[in-house]
Amino acid sequence: MRLGHVIGKVTLSRQDPAYLGGRFLLVQPWNTAKYAKPAAPQPSEAGLVVYDALGAGVGSIVGFTEGSEASKPFAGPTPVDAYCAAIIDEAFHQPPQ
Amino acid sequence: MLLARIDGVIVSTVCHPSMHGCRTVICQPLNEHGGAEGAPVLALDPHGAGQHQRVLVSTDGAAVRAHVGDAHSPLRNSVIAILDDAS
Repeated sequence: MRLGHVIGKVTLSRQDPAYLGGRFLLVQPWNTAKYAKPAAPQPSEAGLVVYDALGAGVGSIVGFTEGSEASKPFAGPTPVDAYCAAIIDEAFHQPPQ
Repeated sequence: MLLARIDGVIVSTVCHPSMHGCRTVICQPLNEHGGAEGAPVLALDPHGAGQHQRVLVSTDGAAVRAHVGDAHSPLRNSVIAILDDAS
């Protein structure tokens, strides 16, 4: 699982019925600098689209899983690459000095 | 498996039901010299590892699903051991 900021939403008109009940978010994963200081500027790397059934909004910090585990919460085989597993209230990050 | 250092914890109220009651830690992967390498990852911590302790992180999702008792859990990473020494 990785952390990321929600920076946008994706809307679809036609989609696989398995996706009903959730939505897709555009997420910018955190790099090391963001862990040290969450207010730091967003990394310039490409963001990714994450399926979300929890209700995260733009600006939320989310924990998302990738790979085969992303499709495990669905009843059947579903094409999902990233799944929002948690909306983060607070991340306490303090590396050793 | 990853050699990592516990650099913090997260707090989440709204999360997948399989995460309820579980501690989730921020793990910083380490290189062979013990230095930080790459971006941190989150892992389930059933052992209660302390801050800055070195741990082994498994990326076996099936093991995590068995541990939390939920076949539909999206979790993948878990702390499987706390290191005494790595040389």
